[in-house]
Amino acid sequence: MSEFEKLKIITKYEFLKHLRRKRLYAVMGIVIVVVLSILIGLPAFGVDYPDDITAMAGMLSVSATFASIGAVFFAGDVIAGEFERKTGYILFPTPVKRTTIVIGKYLACYVAVALIILLGYGIVCVSLLGIYGQIPIEVGTSFVLCLLFAGSVLSLTFFFSSISKGTMAATVMTLAFIMLISGTIDGVLMMADQPSWFLLSRAGDAIIMVYPGFKAMMTAGMGIDMPMEALEYDIGLCTAAMATYLVVCFFLSLFFTRRREML
Amino acid sequence: MRETIVTENLTKYYGGFLALDNFSLKIKENEDVALLGPNGAGKTTAIKILCGLLRPSSGTAYIDGINVVEERELALSKVGAIVESPEFYPYLTSEETLSYLGRLRGMRGRGLKSRINEVIKLVRLEGWAKVKIEKFSRGMKQRLAMAQALLHDPPILILDEPALGLDPRGMMEVREIFKETRKKKTVFYASHFLTEVAQVCDKVAIIDHGRLRVYDSVASLKRKYRSLERAYLKLTEATI
Repeated sequence: MSEFEKLKIITKYEFLKHLRRKRLYAVMGIVIVVVLSILIGLPAFGVDYPDDITAMAGMLSVSATFASIGAVFFAGDVIAGEFERKTGYILFPTPVKRTTIVIGKYLACYVAVALIILLGYGIVCVSLLGIYGQIPIEVGTSFVLCLLFAGSVLSLTFFFSSISKGTMAATVMTLAFIMLISGTIDGVLMMADQPSWFLLSRAGDAIIMVYPGFKAMMTAGMGIDMPMEALEYDIGLCTAAMATYLVVCFFLSLFFTRRREML
Repeated sequence: MRETIVTENLTKYYGGFLALDNFSLKIKENEDVALLGPNGAGKTTAIKILCGLLRPSSGTAYIDGINVVEERELALSKVGAIVESPEFYPYLTSEETLSYLGRLRGMRGRGLKSRINEVIKLVRLEGWAKVKIEKFSRGMKQRLAMAQALLHDPPILILDEPALGLDPRGMMEVREIFKETRKKKTVFYASHFLTEVAQVCDKVAIIDHGRLRVYDSVASLKRKYRSLERAYLKLTEATI
C-alpha cells in the first residue's frame, strides 16, 4: 500500500473530525455574525454604506481574516493532542510514516479552514452584489491572499503543536505569536517608519489592504501622527512572507514530529 | 524455530535516568513471553521501543528480522500492539475506528468489514459498534484496544498490560482470547498479574531497574523457586 493511499485515509478521517466537532460551525457562526453586524449595524445607526465599493468589501473581508485565525483552533491539538490525549498510542504504532500523518492532518485542517474562508467570501460577494450590483476584482486578490494567510497560520500552529506538551499551550503560543509579539513589533516598526512586511500579522493585513477604498478609509481614520508609508503594502513582499512562514513552519513541524518520542 | 522478537543491548536514558540497561532478549516464533517487573522497572520503555514510539539511547531491536529503529513502518506491519492505556478518537465509533486503522494497514472492502465484525464480537462490543467512543468506559476502551491489536491478524502481538482497567469477567475474557491466539502468534506481554501469566505464558522475563534479571520458562522458574510469585519476589527484592 502506497504512502499516498495512506495519506488519503488520514486526510479523510481527520476531516471527519473537523466535520463532527463544534468548532468548525462555531467559527462559521462568528464569520456570519461579523458580516451581519456590519450589514445590519451601519443602517441601524443611520450610517450609509460607503460610496466606494472597495471600502465596503474591505470591511466585510475582515470576517474572512477571523476565519484564518480560526485555523489556530483547528490545528492547535493536531500533533500535541496525539501525545497529550494518548491517541498516539493507537495511531503511531501503525505502519504509516509520521510525515504522512502530519501532511494528512495539515490537508484536512486546510480544507476545513478553506471552507470557512469560502463561506466568508461567498457572503462578501452576495452582499456586494446586493448593495452595489457588482463585485470588484480586488475581492479575488483578497481571497487568494486569505487562503495563503490561512496556510501560513496553520503551519505556524502545526509548528507550535509539534513542540508543545499540551494543546492549550500550542494554541496560546500561536495566538500570542501572531497577535501579541508579531502585532506589537509591527506597531513599533510602523511608528518608526521601518519595514515590517516580514511579520505574519503585517503580511496578513494585506488581505484587506488590497482594497484601495478601505486603505483610504483607514488612513483618514487613523488620526495619529504616523508616516504614510506605514500603510503602504507591497503585496509581493507580503505574499513572499506568508509563503515563507507556510513552508518553513510546516517543515519544522515535520522535523519535530518525526523526532518526538511518545513518553 | 526462528526468532521473531530480538532486542540487543537496548539501553534507554530519560535525561540522566537509566530506564533500560542493556536489555537483551530473544523470543522465538509462536512463543508467549511475559515481561514482569515492578513499577518503573522498564517494561513499558522496552515495549515502546519495540513499537517505534521511543528511540533507544543505544542497542537495537528487531521484529521478524527487521530493525525497528531503522525500518519502523515495515517492522510494525507485522505487529498488533496495545501500549499503556490507549485513548481513541472520541468523535468516531468503534466500527469507524477499526475501519480507519484497518485501512491504514491495507485492509479494505468486504474483507475489512467482516473482520471488524469478527473482532468486535471477540471482544464483546457488539452492542457498541456504532456508538461514539466518547461514551465508552475505561474497560470498553481496553476491549477496543484488544480488537484493534487483533484486527489485521498479525503474527506478533506486543501488549502492555492488556487487562488493565477490565473487570474480572473482562480479564477472564482477555485470557481466553490469548489462549485462542497463542498457538498461532508470538505474544510479548507486559503484566503485573502473576497468576494470569502463569496460566497463559510459556516463558517469563523478569526485569528490574532496567536490567533483565531472568529469562526462563514458567515451569523452570517454578521448579527453582517453588512458585512464580517467589521467583518474582526474590529477583526483584531490591525494590521491595
